[in-house]
Amino acid sequence: MTDTILVVDKLKKYFPTKRGTVKAVDNISFSVATGETIGLVGESGSGKTTTAQCVIGIYPPTDGEILFKGQTISEAFSKRSKALKRDIRIVFQDPGSSLNPKRSIKQILSVPLKVHRVATKKDHLTKIKSLLAMVELPPDEYMYKYPQAIGGGEKQMVAIARALATNPSFVLLDEPTSALDVSVQGKIINLLMKLQQDLNLTYLFITHDLSLMRNVASRVAIMYLGKLCEIAPTVEFFQNPTHPYTKMLLSAIPVVSQEEKALKPTKIASRGEIPSPVNVPSGCSFHSRCSEKMDMCAQDDPVMVEIGEGHVTRCHLYQDTKVAASIEQEEGVHAQDPVDQPRGDG
Amino acid sequence: MKQNMSPLLDVRDLSVGFKIFEGYLSVLNGVELTLGEGERVGLVGETGCGKTTTVKSILRVLPMPPARIAGGEIFYRGKDILKMKRREVQTLRRMELTAIFQDPLMSLNPVFTVGTQLRDIVKDSLGASGKKLTKKQITARCIEALKETGMPDPERIMSNYPIQLSGGMRQRVCIAEALSTTAQLLLADEPTTNLDVTIQDQILRKLDELVEEKNTSVLMITHSLGVVMDLTQRLYIMYAGTMVEEGQTEELFARPLHPYSQGLMKSVPKLTGEGVSDGIPGRIPNYLDPPAGCRFHPRCEHTMPICQTEKPPLFNVENGRHVACFLYRS
Amino acid sequence: MREQLRTDLRVSLKQKRRGFAKGWYKFSRNLLSVLGLVILILIVLAALLAPYITPYPEHAKPYTNFKDAGKPPSTEHFFGTDRVGRDIFSRVIFGYRFSLTIGVVVLSLGVAPGVILGLIAGYHKGTWIETVIMRITDIFLAVPPLVLALAITAMLKPNLTNQMMAIALVWWPWYSRLVFALASSLRNEYFVREAELTGASKLHIMLKEILPNCLAPVMTKMTLDMGIVILLGATLSFIGLGVQPPKPGLGTMVAEGSKRLPGEWWGAIFPALAIVVVILAFNLVGDGLRDVFAVEEV
Repeated sequence: MTDTILVVDKLKKYFPTKRGTVKAVDNISFSVATGETIGLVGESGSGKTTTAQCVIGIYPPTDGEILFKGQTISEAFSKRSKALKRDIRIVFQDPGSSLNPKRSIKQILSVPLKVHRVATKKDHLTKIKSLLAMVELPPDEYMYKYPQAIGGGEKQMVAIARALATNPSFVLLDEPTSALDVSVQGKIINLLMKLQQDLNLTYLFITHDLSLMRNVASRVAIMYLGKLCEIAPTVEFFQNPTHPYTKMLLSAIPVVSQEEKALKPTKIASRGEIPSPVNVPSGCSFHSRCSEKMDMCAQDDPVMVEIGEGHVTRCHLYQDTKVAASIEQEEGVHAQDPVDQPRGDG
Repeated sequence: MKQNMSPLLDVRDLSVGFKIFEGYLSVLNGVELTLGEGERVGLVGETGCGKTTTVKSILRVLPMPPARIAGGEIFYRGKDILKMKRREVQTLRRMELTAIFQDPLMSLNPVFTVGTQLRDIVKDSLGASGKKLTKKQITARCIEALKETGMPDPERIMSNYPIQLSGGMRQRVCIAEALSTTAQLLLADEPTTNLDVTIQDQILRKLDELVEEKNTSVLMITHSLGVVMDLTQRLYIMYAGTMVEEGQTEELFARPLHPYSQGLMKSVPKLTGEGVSDGIPGRIPNYLDPPAGCRFHPRCEHTMPICQTEKPPLFNVENGRHVACFLYRS
Repeated sequence: MREQLRTDLRVSLKQKRRGFAKGWYKFSRNLLSVLGLVILILIVLAALLAPYITPYPEHAKPYTNFKDAGKPPSTEHFFGTDRVGRDIFSRVIFGYRFSLTIGVVVLSLGVAPGVILGLIAGYHKGTWIETVIMRITDIFLAVPPLVLALAITAMLKPNLTNQMMAIALVWWPWYSRLVFALASSLRNEYFVREAELTGASKLHIMLKEILPNCLAPVMTKMTLDMGIVILLGATLSFIGLGVQPPKPGLGTMVAEGSKRLPGEWWGAIFPALAIVVVILAFNLVGDGLRDVFAVEEV
């Protein structure tokens, strides 16, 4: 039995605006096991970034709870202990603005060291050098450089080094390679995987690139307009998608080989625009674009049901599968055994 | 490559550089590109390879003090764009060339409604071809153009401001603008990079339909390999200011020949789940002091002595396939 | 550890030198800005060396010589003499001392508090701290600078020191507003978020993360402001609330000389031109600086 490191329980995050309430995250529940990589995928307005922001503490939840290592962490950020700030770290999407252009890499990396007293001032330097070496950037060359002088990939490596500077156990990766070229992406992803093994890290990996997700995550959760549509272990998610939105998204992925084309679900033509989160459609929020819509879909919002080992989906098409749907929602989905990595097995 | 007619667009040995404080950035290094009438050609390359500089050179919108044309010609229907006078270039941009860019929010004027901007373009292009239409007719044309792009509720959109629309809708407006002109050549520079996957899918399919219908020639520039696969017939791969490979899209994907193309294809994460390749070692060259000979040689595992001294031309490997690599010399 | 400090210093000096060379390159592309810089350097040097380079340094002090009064510009008196016989050229050079002093002192006094308040307000945007600071700023801004400076100097004894304090009091809100705008948008940058999430103190974030990104606009504004501050000082002197006669403040001289217009025009025109030249020089340099700091795209 592996430990559960993070539990998100009925999380809600609403933003009141002049035009109405934006329901960025609307009652989601899931949990993450130590050492696994849970992938969160979705398009604009899905709420995946807001979810990460609630976990890391940028926003306090409107409702619901977040438990980290058994402790509730969902109050205001100011109440978070320093130990918590040390333990959960984040790597942002845009390398261009996640590093202060007026500070050198040495200065940037010394901030977390200083705040968390990871090393005494004398040892700062050694620690910074070892951090740079860990992300495979020659320390003497890079320490004094400024962000503008290094490429996007290298900037992300620095961001990763900065995140890992405090020896955390949980790292949120918000589209870490989306702004980078594909030839640079691989190195960073493999570095992240290696570090995960070496340092026993747990990752919450957000990306819109499903092909990347296929190779990185051990479980995938897909969100649409603030709600979870489907969660499944990676291979299952890609081979056996059940939710219509999952299928639509998977069939829209641009691929480069015939082999991959064959793996995609039958083409479901994407229809319609993504509704604004202020104006979420009634019933199941996806019904306005769903090709398999039924009458009840516009009225009732479906609940999560379990349809396979660790595989849950939220769609009326599967409501018959009776596995105590309400209880499932109560406890959240149980994490999958993280030994089951997708790499290598087809 | 169509042998039967002379190409619509013919870029020959184009070299462009920029004079900056640190020295001279030699960006484009002998770019060769052709586009035939009605053809859909892709230009794939990563950040900094010079694709946007190429597009800007074609449109002649490069800021000329720092930028400098070091050599080459860009022939459009037989006339060299680089030698045209300003008036001619303006006419060219108005009547013959059209473009869509990556960020629609930057391409659309935030203080005018979609209707105003679209009417402006439609009126201009119709006026140019000698037709005189009433305001109602122009508006009707605009609405029709929007409908063609798959825009929901086009009448209402006409009175919206760009900021009120979603990214996908803005890009549809840009497409409507681009295709409402008499232009025969569409330059699309990363048109869907900023959009969600499902919207990207819709827009690309729509674009495909529209250019098919109007027989517009398209140069689709992107760093995303998946995007060009379905949309283009022929493909160029660009690296550090030169074309390194050219061929029929499907062929090229199935059998990339240039070491860079091969590395690129390998780097793309696959749905088959075989893990992510480490990518291509090294970095793109510093244009202040680019490598001599083949610009890819420092990162290439098949480097030979000649690669370090001479720039490989695009060798004709087989029917329509060109590779700029000495491995394919004969 | 000391070894490390030395390496740190060496590298940072090298980087600063390169940055400076690059900045100069960008600056020197603007011929007008270079011209402005040259004029400025000449003025500063002249002002510093005034007692040694002016033909009649003693005329800057109380001096009368009615024999030489009212003489038009000549080779002996480049700008002519005023109604009590003092050489206007020498007095103008000495007058630059007052102008430059006013500029430097006012900005030193006014910029720092303005920047600090703006920084604090910007970082705490949305809280009562911002409201308090910015409303106070607004109050000061609502009153026209000249009127406020007038009011303050009128209350106190009119002299150079009080004049400078008055203008400084009028000047800080502009910086507060500038830095407020910069800081409140910088606050949302990822690198600031990251520092907050790491747990860095507010002081660290304001001083080390946000402030360095505000310096460029502040410096440009300071250069452009020098001109306006000098003008404001001259205006106060002109109406008698600044530099008092017989001291050779430029505004004071214009006031005296204007009584003799249009006949003995040199008494008013040359000091006025001197004011124009120094302001123009600062503006040209400021424009050039703006180009230096502009982010370039290639």
